[in-house]
Amino acid sequence: MINKIISIQITAFLGTLLLFGCSQNQEKTEQKAIPIMEWKFIKEIPLGDIAPIGIASQGNFFWLSDVDNNRIVKIDFEGQIIEEFNGFERPMHIAIQGDKIYIPEYSTDSIKILENGNISNYEINEQPDAIGGVAINGNTVAIADFYNNRIILNQGDKTNIIGKEGHNDGELYYPTDIDIHNNLIYVADAYNNRVQVFDFKGKYVKMIGWNEGINVATGLKVTDTQIIIADFEGNRVLVYDLDGKLLQTLSGNFNKLEFLQKVGQKS
Amino acid sequence: MKTTIKTTGITLIMLLAALFTTNTVNAQTTEKTYIKIEVDGLSCPFCAYGLEKKLKKIAGSKDVFIQLEEGEATMSVPKDQKPTEEELRKIVKDAGFTPKEITFSKTPFKTKKDDK
Repeated sequence: MINKIISIQITAFLGTLLLFGCSQNQEKTEQKAIPIMEWKFIKEIPLGDIAPIGIASQGNFFWLSDVDNNRIVKIDFEGQIIEEFNGFERPMHIAIQGDKIYIPEYSTDSIKILENGNISNYEINEQPDAIGGVAINGNTVAIADFYNNRIILNQGDKTNIIGKEGHNDGELYYPTDIDIHNNLIYVADAYNNRVQVFDFKGKYVKMIGWNEGINVATGLKVTDTQIIIADFEGNRVLVYDLDGKLLQTLSGNFNKLEFLQKVGQKS
Repeated sequence: MKTTIKTTGITLIMLLAALFTTNTVNAQTTEKTYIKIEVDGLSCPFCAYGLEKKLKKIAGSKDVFIQLEEGEATMSVPKDQKPTEEELRKIVKDAGFTPKEITFSKTPFKTKKDDK
């Protein structure tokens, strides 16, 4: 019996969410099982006047950063707002760890933590200029520092700076989103039209998406098997394996894609 | 008696002086200069809100509003804190964009906000 993992892939654009289901089958080649993932459209969720940038899933809900309206909203799968928290200043790509939602404020160069309705500040040792996104993994926090063209990496008390302005390998040009997976840092290097991968020491590892002519790489999500990139101007989602091989391109009724989130549901 | 009249007189003069000063300050602060900046390269929200962030740092700036599709930024400043065109061009360039036409006006510019 082949185990099936059904996941829901969320892509968001102006005013709606699109849900994609991903079925994983296994094909046997010689003695090694190779999973083949294919995303399929499931449904569209209307978002009304929400202008989403960031998304994080929590159980049967999504948290969205509503950048135009300076708020964070919690919605269900029908798009109904369950909770909302106002007063954030241009919240961008958010991250979630347990009950804590990390919210970077683009205008104030700060990160707020929303936990059970209470808001506190996350301390940043370096001075960023417009935080595009934040990623959390264990005690590691990675921050996409948009105008400084760098990543601020906090691990406990240690802070490292990764990248500098430029277009070569290891250099960044307006990073907007970030993710951490298997001790690697994935950066949506927006106006270099690619995703770059670094290790925790800041060493450049590889580049993804260069061959596909990405217009603006604004959103990013890394799973156990895939790297998923939102191409804002290209109105498409590009799905790669962890080696950077293009697996699938999701396109259709997208309009200015900004972010990605995967919700796993095993059945 | 004389002392009372004298004290009342001084108080009145001080009140009038305070009133005059307040009116003068109000007259100065309510006079605004409205600015419209046409910008090349505004393509995503990160760009739009990046420019907003930089323009909000201008002394006295208010009502900063970015229209992504139109490639325009509008704002107001107190007349006596009006930045020069050169200063504005530098701010826009530092924000990562190419400034085009910059217009100063005594009256507000029409934006999408007005249509709502």
